[in-house]
Amino acid sequence: MERQEILDGLIEVLKTIRTIDPERLVGVTEETDFLTDLSTPSTELINIAAKVEHKFDIEFDDDDIDHMGSKVKDIIDLIIMVKARGENE
Amino acid sequence: MITDKETYLDIIKNGNLVGVPPEQMLLHGPTKRYVDKYLWHSPNKGIVARYSPTERDVEDHFGIFRGVDQVEAFAQASTVSCATFLECRKLNCTPAELKEMFIPAFISIGNVNFYNYLEYGDTFVCLGNITFYKWRQMACNGRIYKVPRGFDLDSYFSDFTEERLLKYDISKDFIQVAELFDITGRAIKIELFKKPE
Repeated sequence: MERQEILDGLIEVLKTIRTIDPERLVGVTEETDFLTDLSTPSTELINIAAKVEHKFDIEFDDDDIDHMGSKVKDIIDLIIMVKARGENE
Repeated sequence: MITDKETYLDIIKNGNLVGVPPEQMLLHGPTKRYVDKYLWHSPNKGIVARYSPTERDVEDHFGIFRGVDQVEAFAQASTVSCATFLECRKLNCTPAELKEMFIPAFISIGNVNFYNYLEYGDTFVCLGNITFYKWRQMACNGRIYKVPRGFDLDSYFSDFTEERLLKYDISKDFIQVAELFDITGRAIKIELFKKPE
């Protein structure tokens, strides 16, 4: 799965997040920060992670979430890592 | 006190918090521990716990237990106690062992509405229901009620149910003090919590 494809899927997820202003999703890049650029409440990151699991058919471990950064690229990296882990199991 | 580790692990694995001294679940304190006793607990659903504010709790505050301490009391009774219990169950360890790995932290507080007040001599119960639990993060909704003096809480909650918890189906003699939403906490790894900037 290419990074752009994941980014597109992630933006679809973000469109369903009530606390994110849809207008802010225009021009989202891998460098976009959920906390500072999208003003996402801290609890919402967990909700986003839960929806990402469903969207990409993956399962995060507790430790994955511990180390998840707040930028879009951090989540994309995490999705790629968890997908690879699943394929190796 | 539960002095035998195997007994405690068996309670964690197969039982619930009723009968467990709060000081063995909430490892801070004693002055800022706001749970005196667990009255009812369904590990995946919710909890009922009681507390009576001390003279120290109301000192310099008109003899009133502060609203912010009500939120803290509710969080300790619900999110912290329930999540600690489930994490110990998952890792097959005691709270003391969990404390070596994680620090419980507030993540957010949703709406809180106050309807009454609590003063020294009062006893209140926190009714908390778990609305989210994943990745060591838990959110609870619930209510705080002031209890009539002399009320036998142990007996009253001995046959409490999950259905009654969700409906707040309790005695009309209880006075609602507060309603709380999305009281959210997370167990954060100590090494991440103390990570330098």
